[in-house]
Amino acid sequence: MTSTATGASGSSVRDRFRAGVEAASSTYLEQPDWAAVVAHVAAGTDVVALAPSLAADEPDLLVALEAAGCGIVIPDQDDPAASVADVAVALVQGELAIAETGSVLVSEHRLGDRVVTMLCRRLVQVVPADRLVDRLEGAADWLAARGGQPGFASLMTGPSRTADIERSLTIGVQGPDEVEVIVLTATTGAPTEGTA
Amino acid sequence: MTMRPFEERYAAALADDDVRTGLTAFQRGWRGSRDAAIEALEQQEGRSFDELRAELAAIKDGVLADWSHYLDEFQEKAVAAGAEVTRVATPGEANAHITSVVQAAGADLVVKGKSMVSEEIGLNAHLEANGIVPVETDLGEWILQLAHETPSHLVMPAIHKRKERIAALLGQVLGREYAPDDIPTMVKAARTELRERFLASGVGLSGANALIAEGGSIMLVENEGNNRMSVALPPIHVVTAGIEKLVPTYADAMKQVRLLGRSATAQPITVYTNFVTGPRPGQQQHIVLLDNGRTAMAEDPDVAAALRCIRCGACANVCPPYGVVGGHAFGHVYTGAIGLVNTAFHHGMEAAAGPQSLCVSCGACAQACPVDIPLPVQILEVRRKVAESEVTMPAGRVTAVALGAFANRRLFGFGMRVVGVASTPLRRNGVTAVPRLLADRGPVRTATGWRTPPAVPARPARDTLKPGKLDEPPRLAAQPLAGRTVSLFLQCLSDRLAPQIPIAAAKLLRAAGARVTVPREQHCCGLPAYDSGEHDTARDMVRQTMAVLADADDVVTPASSCLAMLSHDAPHLLRGAVDEVERAQQLAGRTYDLIGYLTQGPGRLPAGSLDDGDRTPVTVHRFCQASNTLGRQDAVERFLRDVAGAPVVPLPEASECCGFGGSTSVRTPEVAEHVLDRKLGCLDRTEASIVITDNPGCILHLRGGVHASGRQVQVLHLAEYLVGRLDGAAVNAERMTP
Ligand code: SF4
Repeated sequence: MTSTATGASGSSVRDRFRAGVEAASSTYLEQPDWAAVVAHVAAGTDVVALAPSLAADEPDLLVALEAAGCGIVIPDQDDPAASVADVAVALVQGELAIAETGSVLVSEHRLGDRVVTMLCRRLVQVVPADRLVDRLEGAADWLAARGGQPGFASLMTGPSRTADIERSLTIGVQGPDEVEVIVLTATTGAPTEGTA
Repeated sequence: MTMRPFEERYAAALADDDVRTGLTAFQRGWRGSRDAAIEALEQQEGRSFDELRAELAAIKDGVLADWSHYLDEFQEKAVAAGAEVTRVATPGEANAHITSVVQAAGADLVVKGKSMVSEEIGLNAHLEANGIVPVETDLGEWILQLAHETPSHLVMPAIHKRKERIAALLGQVLGREYAPDDIPTMVKAARTELRERFLASGVGLSGANALIAEGGSIMLVENEGNNRMSVALPPIHVVTAGIEKLVPTYADAMKQVRLLGRSATAQPITVYTNFVTGPRPGQQQHIVLLDNGRTAMAEDPDVAAALRCIRCGACANVCPPYGVVGGHAFGHVYTGAIGLVNTAFHHGMEAAAGPQSLCVSCGACAQACPVDIPLPVQILEVRRKVAESEVTMPAGRVTAVALGAFANRRLFGFGMRVVGVASTPLRRNGVTAVPRLLADRGPVRTATGWRTPPAVPARPARDTLKPGKLDEPPRLAAQPLAGRTVSLFLQCLSDRLAPQIPIAAAKLLRAAGARVTVPREQHCCGLPAYDSGEHDTARDMVRQTMAVLADADDVVTPASSCLAMLSHDAPHLLRGAVDEVERAQQLAGRTYDLIGYLTQGPGRLPAGSLDDGDRTPVTVHRFCQASNTLGRQDAVERFLRDVAGAPVVPLPEASECCGFGGSTSVRTPEVAEHVLDRKLGCLDRTEASIVITDNPGCILHLRGGVHASGRQVQVLHLAEYLVGRLDGAAVNAERMTP
């Protein structure tokens, strides 16, 4: 992976990522660990939709959220869309964060994972700091390492938007209209497929 | 898809003021943000836009060079990931296949992400004819579907529609009132209306921004999130893509991403860049790879590079005539400059013919294109193909006959002399006074009401410039050209319609010490014929010009358009014969336009040498091709400031075409009129009373427009302006020499 501490300009990769996130109209936050994320999320909502893959990777997260008084909806197998259709806030883990563009690479192969990011209004994306890469080529490496395995990976950069009516920028179309990016500063993310 | 004939689309676009007002505002706004985005990219990458786009162009060219290999690799990987891949040759085959997939699934509702290929093949109409309801889910496309219209832009499909009309349309369809200024509420309506369709639909259709051979993935970029939902939610995903969308690797795709968002909407990256590899568990994925003329394009060296296109729409955003009529007239399904090229291959000559003359050959598109497609040259090649086909362009036959007469130097010269003498009573200050009785009548108004035609002088420049006829001009203190002989290439247009321009150029060169000769047999560089698609005639004229100037050392022309023709287009036209290309290049190496000769050539004049003390502010219209083809930026401005001491007020949109643009003035004069209007509006903002430029075509066009609109602005060729300062400059110089 092409992760470096500082880029050519001298500013740190994290600073540049932050600038990119903010330029894309998302909110940038740093939290030490999942416990802090839980506290932050629970303070803002009493129910959250969780991507099934995240629930499987971080079983402690479910316990912690519930302990914090936050209800959890994990899309069910039969009708995943219907089960999260009315949940406003969703929580996912990003595979990578790309400093160059302020994007978070989210991998969502299963329908259950997809409906979470697509149907919510406020999307919280959590990325461990060691998943921060400098340039888009870092994402290309991640994709290439998967060697053509089936998958659906999206570089997400800010809330959904349109300028189709008289080029006037409007935030929030089919996707979320609020995106919060949280970098986990003290924890290492669970290793996922494809990361070297 | 049945489209109305070009003439109808053109008339409808002209009749709709909203199109013009909206698009002009859009183009201006886009230009500023795109330029800033590209500049930021250049800084980020430490490389120029030209280097970056050359890299992406090479990637796309590399695919074409080994096309079947990459197609096979993509197909193999996509199939391995669980997709079914079908290659089709024609729109008919594509439609039939997609319809059968939808029918086999028993679906009667399909959701669609934005896809130009689906427009290319007329997919919606075909689905509807088979009882299937396609629902567009991109906001712009959805609005157009409700309005029963087609996209007028590759990226911003509904850019031709003002918010008032969209509000009224939504009100009518959804039975609620929408305030035109409340765009968020209109956007919300789309979300509410479409949400359940995504969930209810049996099939999701998408295009592809790239097909990545390395992994069998398709790349889809978007801002709204609708494409993701169309792709991800329904149990069947059908991708339709042109086979030119291939890139070898993910890293190559990222290079496309870097240029695409910035060139399309001035974003460093779109909100979603989705990489879809195979279907999700429980889903089917069908990928339809379409040829429809693409192989034929690849085999035709005149247009092959057009297959690099990444459909960013930049070539429309910088196009002045597009800003007047919009994409429903400027193009066919594909709009903007690229539409003038690829329509001939995807939709046939008939479809390609109408819009051809809308292009003013200003070259702005080639400057903006992120894959460096030589669009202006390609457009002229397609125009030639149209001219050679059975199909007629607007005013095609008339132009061909007129060009035939024009190509004959003697016949043309004689004709112009007759007109010159006969029109003496109508001549007023260089323009023709059209008799009042005629001026307001239909065709005369269309042709002249907005631009007074130039008067035909009794004597062409070549007569006045015969040896011994011209008074000796005052000598400048600096004599950089002492001992040099300059052959003046008059330009046919100036020679006959604006003789004072070459005469002024001759005086100026002599004032700087040159001996000026005017080769007698000279006629025309071939540009008008080339521009009209009559390449054989153009080639003859180029050859004649090359023969006439074969022995000349320095060739100077007061017309930058002739320089662009001789240096850029002539070698292209003669590309079949190596020795001719070489001679054309040699001639180009010795040929200058006036500003080039005075600033970079032997005629370099020292600072202040043409300063006569006059400090009346002037402004400069940059001849579009000088900026876009010859790569000239602010040379005229700097020269005026430094050498002539003139205060120069910057002209907004200085390098934008004035609308004269070759055959456009003749074939689609309404476009020339509106482009001129935009230029005159910019002139007004400078409040300068003198505008200077260095191309005679622009001068005649601007003068006509200034006169017809009653503005009090002097339009001068650089040579005319400078000659006006000769006396004062000479006196000044004497005063300063001890
Ligand atoms: S031709 Fe160039 S500028 Fe025009 S749409 Fe294609 S890539 Fe963009």
